[in-house]
Amino acid sequence: MKALILSCALLILPALALEPLDSQALAEVTGQGGVYLSGDLTINDTGGPLNRDGPSQNGYSWQTACGVNTTDKRCGGRIAVNTDQSGGWLVLDNIRGRFAFEGLTLTTRRIDSGFDGDGANFNRDVMEIGLPDQLDYNDVSFTIANSNAPRPTDAGFQQTDIMTLNINGTVNQQGNVLLFPTGAP
Amino acid sequence: MNPARLAFLLLVSPAATQALQPLSDQSLGAVTGQAGITLEQSGHVSVGEISYTDDGNRLQIQNIERGEQSTIALPSAVKHVTDVAADGTLSINTTVAPTALAIGGVRINDSLASTGAFRLNYSGNTHLQLRPSNGRYIEGQVDTSISDAELIWTTNGHSISFDDILFRADIDQFSIGDAYKGTKQGLDFELNQFAYDFSTGGLKLGGVSLGTLSGELALSGSAQLYAGGRLGNQGLQLDAAISIVNDSSNYVQFVDDGNALYMGDFNGALNVTGLTIDVANDHLAVGVDQLDGAFNANRILIGDSTRPLGAVQFDFLLADDGTNGRFNRLRLYPGVRQPVLAALPTDIRPYSSQFYQPLNAASDGLSAGIDWNLTSANASYIDDNRLVVVSGIKSYGSGDITFDVRGFDHDNNSATADKTAVAIGLNDFNGSYSIEGLRVGNKNAPLQGGAELLLSLEVFQAMDFNLDAYTYITAGGVSGGGIQVDGDYLFSDTNIGLSVDDQGQGIWATGVTYDIHMRQFQFDVSNRGISVNRGEQWSTMNIDDLRWGDKLAGRSLGRVTLERFERGSSLEILPGGAGAVCVGASAGSQSACDAAGGRWEDRGEEGLTVALKAAFEPEGLTSDGTIARNRLTWENNRNSDGNGGYVNGTGTRIEFDGISTNDGLGKSDSNDYGFRADLNIDVYETKVVKKSDGEDSQNVDGKKGDELIYDDSSRTTYSYVETPTAAQKQLRPLGFAVQGNVSFKDFQIDQVRLGHPTGGTQTVFSGVVMQNMDITTNLTATPIR
Repeated sequence: MKALILSCALLILPALALEPLDSQALAEVTGQGGVYLSGDLTINDTGGPLNRDGPSQNGYSWQTACGVNTTDKRCGGRIAVNTDQSGGWLVLDNIRGRFAFEGLTLTTRRIDSGFDGDGANFNRDVMEIGLPDQLDYNDVSFTIANSNAPRPTDAGFQQTDIMTLNINGTVNQQGNVLLFPTGAP
Repeated sequence: MNPARLAFLLLVSPAATQALQPLSDQSLGAVTGQAGITLEQSGHVSVGEISYTDDGNRLQIQNIERGEQSTIALPSAVKHVTDVAADGTLSINTTVAPTALAIGGVRINDSLASTGAFRLNYSGNTHLQLRPSNGRYIEGQVDTSISDAELIWTTNGHSISFDDILFRADIDQFSIGDAYKGTKQGLDFELNQFAYDFSTGGLKLGGVSLGTLSGELALSGSAQLYAGGRLGNQGLQLDAAISIVNDSSNYVQFVDDGNALYMGDFNGALNVTGLTIDVANDHLAVGVDQLDGAFNANRILIGDSTRPLGAVQFDFLLADDGTNGRFNRLRLYPGVRQPVLAALPTDIRPYSSQFYQPLNAASDGLSAGIDWNLTSANASYIDDNRLVVVSGIKSYGSGDITFDVRGFDHDNNSATADKTAVAIGLNDFNGSYSIEGLRVGNKNAPLQGGAELLLSLEVFQAMDFNLDAYTYITAGGVSGGGIQVDGDYLFSDTNIGLSVDDQGQGIWATGVTYDIHMRQFQFDVSNRGISVNRGEQWSTMNIDDLRWGDKLAGRSLGRVTLERFERGSSLEILPGGAGAVCVGASAGSQSACDAAGGRWEDRGEEGLTVALKAAFEPEGLTSDGTIARNRLTWENNRNSDGNGGYVNGTGTRIEFDGISTNDGLGKSDSNDYGFRADLNIDVYETKVVKKSDGEDSQNVDGKKGDELIYDDSSRTTYSYVETPTAAQKQLRPLGFAVQGNVSFKDFQIDQVRLGHPTGGTQTVFSGVVMQNMDITTNLTATPIR
C-alpha cells in the first residue's frame, strides 16, 4: 500500500520542468542508481471480470464471451465521472488496448551543476523519469460518451456515445521528466 | 569448585538427583550381577526450590516435581544398565518409563510474578558411553530418544503445548577438556556428527492444534564455557562455533491440514563470541560481543510440493558498537512488565490499556528488554540459478516485549467461548534499518540501486521507527489448523525511505504516524501455498512531509494521509512465477509471439506469486465501534509552526473520499471480488538498450539502441552490443520480471474535494465509477547504476 502512496503521489504531483533537456544537460545529471523498466500493459484483452460473472439488472447484462477480436462494447473497461451532483456523467467506455515500451527509467538525483549554470542555483533532489524512446500503441481504443447514471445496470440508464478513438502506432519520446516539490509544503 | 565444572557435572548426570536418595530393599533387590549392573529405580521427587546465586542475586527454579506421568504424585520408574567393556568404556543404558517433570515457576530474588509453570511428560531411552581420553577429561558417545512427550507452558490458567513429541539425537563423538581465554580457564566441549530428528503431533493452544512440526539436522561444533559474566564477578561466559553440516537430508517442515511449509537441503554456520549470562537484581542478563553466521537453504516448498520456490541464502553479523552505544543485549524478566501508559504515544494508549487490563503485577508470563545492533547482513534469492542479493542490511534499536498465555474473545462475540491465545506486547520499540542496494548475478557484483523494486512487497529501503504493538495469536485458520492473528499497532515518529541512495538521499516519508488494526487475520497453508484471510482491517497513515533529498532538511511536497477500511480481503503467496510469457504481444507460443512482434521469455519453474484481494468498504463502523473509511488526502500551503515545521490542517487539501469496491451494482451490492492484484515475480535476464549515442556515465561507449551485455559471468564490466548472440543474451542484466494483473468489477470514489479551513470545501467530482477493468502487465525491472 505504501507503494500505492508513491504511485498516487506521482500521479498528483505538479508536472514541472517538462521542457526537454538537451544532450549536455542530460550528461550533467549525475547518476546514483535506480530502475530500468521495460514491458507492456494490456487493458481488457479478453474482457473484464464483470463479463465472466457480472450482474444483470434493469434489462442490462454484463455477462458475455469476450475474445481478443470481440467488438462487443461490454468487453472494455468503463470510467464514469460526475462533475455536478445534479448533472450527468462523462463516460470513457469500452477501454481496451495494449501499450508497450522499452527503457523507462526511474531514479532520484541531486542536480547541482550544469544547465548553463542554473544547476548550481537549483541544487535540489529530483525524481527523474527517463522517458522510453518508443511507446507503441496497439489497438488502443475508447469511446467518449455521456450518460444519465454511472452504471449501465441503473434504472432508466441512458447513454449517448459521442465518438470512438482507435490508436495504432509509435510515439517517439526523448528526455526526462523531473519531479520535485515547490511552493509552501 | 569451578562453577562451570559444577554445571557440567549436573548436565552430564541425568540421574544425579535420584542418586542422592537411599535405595529401598526392593530397588536393591533388582540389582543383578551379570556382565554389568542393572538398577531399577522407582521414585517421586519433590523439591521446593533450586537456586542459582550470582553476585548475591538468586535465580530460583521453584516447586519442582518428578513422578509418574498420569499422576505426578506417584513414583515413576527408571532402569539403568551399567557395564564396563574390555577397553575401559563405561556404558550406561537408561530407560525412563512414562514420567512427568514439572516446574511451578521461575523467579528472580523472590519476584512477585513468575515465568509461569512448565511441565514435560516423556518416556525415553539414553545410551551413554564414556571412556578415558589422552589430554581430555573424558570422551564418548551418546544416543538418546524421547517419545510420546508433551511440553506445556501455563500462565494464568491457560496453556500452550507441544504434543506427541518424538526426539532422537545421536552424538558419534564428544569430548570434554580444558579451554583457555586470556587468564580464564574453562571447559571445552567438542561435538562431532551430532545428528538429530524431531517431530510433534501438534502445536496446540488451549488444546486446539496449529499444525505439526518436524525436522532432521546434522551438526558439529564446539563450545567453551568460562566462569565470570558481564556483571559483577560471577556469572557464565560462552564461546561457540556450530556448523549445520551440508547434508541434503536436513529439513524442517510445518504441516497444516496435510499441507507443508518445507525447508530442506540446508547448511550453515553460527559463531558466538563472548556470550554472557548473569543474574541481576530483577532479571537474567544475556549479552553477546559478536554473533555471526550464514545460512543456505536450497529447497523451499510452500504448500504445493511440485513447485519449489527457489533457494535463499542469508549471512549476518551482530556486533557491539561501543562508539555509537549500540549493543546486543537481552534482559529476561519473570512476569509481565507493563509499560508506563503515560509514556506511550496517545493514539495507542487505549489499546495498550485494554491489552494489559486482565493482568497485574503478580501475573505470570515472560518479559524481555532487547537491544540489537545488526552490523551487516545480506539476503539472497536464487530463482532458476539467477541470483539477486539484497545487500548491506543494517539495523539497530531497542525495545521491551511481553509474552503470556491467556483467554481471548477471538470472534468479538461474548456469547461464544473464549480461545486460548499467546499474547505478545511490544512497547517502545525504537529502531532503524537500511538497505544499501542490490547485487545481481553474483555476490561480488557491483552494488546497484533498485531496492525500490522491493516496494511492491512492502519492503522499504530505510526506516526509522518507534513501534508499539499488541498481538493475540490463537489456533485455527479458515479450516482446521493454522493460526488467527488479531492486533493493534502504531508506528510513530517514523521516517520511511521510499527511494534513497547509499548516502541516505532520495525520497522520504517523514513524521509518519501509522496506526493499524487487524481483526481475525487467519493464516493457513493450503495445497496452493500460504493464504491469509484478512477478516477486517482499518488503518490511518499520516505522512507529515513527503520530502525530496535529506530526510530532515529535504524540501517537502506537503502532508499526505491515507485512511483504509477493508473487510474480507485476502492474500495468497504461491510458489512459481510467470513461466513462459510473450512480452509486447498476445501469443501462446514462441513462434506466434515472434510473428506478432513480441519477445518470448521463459522465466522457468521457480519464482513467487503474490495474489492480493482488497475489499474496500464504504465508510462505516468497525468491530471496535469506531468509524473508518477509505480516503486519500494531500495538504500543502500549511502555516509554519515557527520551528521549521508546518501545522497540519491549516493548508489547502484535496481529498479523494469514500473509496470503495463492490460487485457491480453499487455500494448496496456485495463486495466479494474487491480490487485484485496478482503478481508473478521472477528473476530474469532483461533487455536493456542504450538511449543515446556516445559514452554513458561509466565511460562505456555505444550507439543508441545497442544492448547492454556483461563481458563475463562476474558481471563487473559491460559493453554495448548491436546484435547480441545467444550466449551474450545469457549475460544480459538480471532483474525482477513481474507479470501483473490488476482487476476489479466496480471501484467507486464518492467525491473529490478541495478544502481549506477558512475557504470552505468545494466539490471537484461528485462521483467517479470505474467498472470491469482487467489490466495485465509484463514488466522487467532492472537495477541500474
